[in-house]
Amino acid sequence: MSIVIIGTFGAIMIAAAIFAIYSQNILSAIISAGVISLLASIIYILLAAPDVAMTEAAIGSGLTTVVFLLALRRIQVNQAEKEDGSAEEVIDD
Amino acid sequence: MPVIIDWTSAFLLGSCMVGIIRIIIGPTSADRLTALNLVGSQVIALLVVTAFRAGSPVYLDVAMVYSVFGFLGVLAITRYLSKRSNSK
Repeated sequence: MSIVIIGTFGAIMIAAAIFAIYSQNILSAIISAGVISLLASIIYILLAAPDVAMTEAAIGSGLTTVVFLLALRRIQVNQAEKEDGSAEEVIDD
Repeated sequence: MPVIIDWTSAFLLGSCMVGIIRIIIGPTSADRLTALNLVGSQVIALLVVTAFRAGSPVYLDVAMVYSVFGFLGVLAITRYLSKRSNSK
């Protein structure tokens, strides 16, 4: 049964990784990366490594999503200021 | 009893696959966010079933940690979506 789960989740992780690369929407790519971390955590559990799975669930699936979203919001704020014509001040900061 | 555990694992695996299909083909980001929340809940259930099958309560810690940080991630994405829809 765990062989079936590992194989299925591995195939889904490959599909989600390809989707994260080729997606045009950045938010969808971030969500897909979160799915990859979640399924990697399950595979670590099934391979009897619970501490690695705990770290993956905390950092890979929780903190990485938050950090990516903060970076995405900052990038979009910079682009909005650049459209207003104040790009030099943003670059100097 | 192992038959019940196997069937529960298979059911959770199948419903995970349905949710992940929605994540991949979902038209908007809100659909993908809702599907991620659904898959997260099913994965937590699958972790608990795996902990019961392995018989070691150490595996339950992973489910607890993911339930906290997964909620944090979903909350961050929801705040991002609401601020973006307010700014438009």
